[in-house]
Amino acid sequence: MLTDQTIFTTTAAVLVFLGVFAISYSKNLLKTIVSFQVVVFGANLGLFASGLGGSSSLMANTLVLFSIVVGGSVEAVGLALIVLVHKKYGTLDPGKIRRLRD
Amino acid sequence: MSGEVALLLSAALLVTVISALFSRSMAMTLISMFYASLVVGVIFTLYQGILVGLLHIIIFAGAVSVMLLTAVLMTGETDLGIGKRSLAVLLSAVTILIVGAASYSLFSTLPSGVAETPTMNLLEFVWVFRPWDLLILVIIFAASMTVVVNLLSKEQ
Repeated sequence: MLTDQTIFTTTAAVLVFLGVFAISYSKNLLKTIVSFQVVVFGANLGLFASGLGGSSSLMANTLVLFSIVVGGSVEAVGLALIVLVHKKYGTLDPGKIRRLRD
Repeated sequence: MSGEVALLLSAALLVTVISALFSRSMAMTLISMFYASLVVGVIFTLYQGILVGLLHIIIFAGAVSVMLLTAVLMTGETDLGIGKRSLAVLLSAVTILIVGAASYSLFSTLPSGVAETPTMNLLEFVWVFRPWDLLILVIIFAASMTVVVNLLSKEQ
């Protein structure tokens, strides 16, 4: 039986996999932040889906709230660092930044 | 709630995330991530997590999207690609189809239009009917579509 919990858990797993894959192969730091956002979406959806069937819905909602706030804060700091890196090196390609730093 | 709504919302989420991750244009990425944030918020809201859904939409579709756009504008790293009216029309049509299908499924599965359990005490006279809940979500989607069409129109 395909329940809502199964559907959302599968979607969350696919989202996390897609995000990690995109982080690994990204050549732009902005795209890396977007990929990290996808991973956060997957984690939030997985946490929320874990509380759908049983009595732990309140706990799952609390964890999702915590995850949302932490994810948003991390992305804000990451974007600020990206702007600083672009000011210093003039590019957002991690490979070029590594060569310029050496 | 029926599994069809979950399937539709999951499909919409995956389509928007894939288009965000694998598109070459940064504008397409930003718009797709905005839509993905909205879809995740709608999922939370429809499955009795109104507070979580609203916070998700406010933070990710609001604050983080604006911060991403600001970072793109400050760095000037990629072309924003403004002026694709056909893309805006396509996005709007897809969104209308998804919202229409989801709302039809919701209305057809509810026998009396009354939610099983009211989710919050706040504004209970509004939230006691599930169609009101859906109507507000549709208004949010329509507003986001208008913004996207304005952003991508050639007059901007």
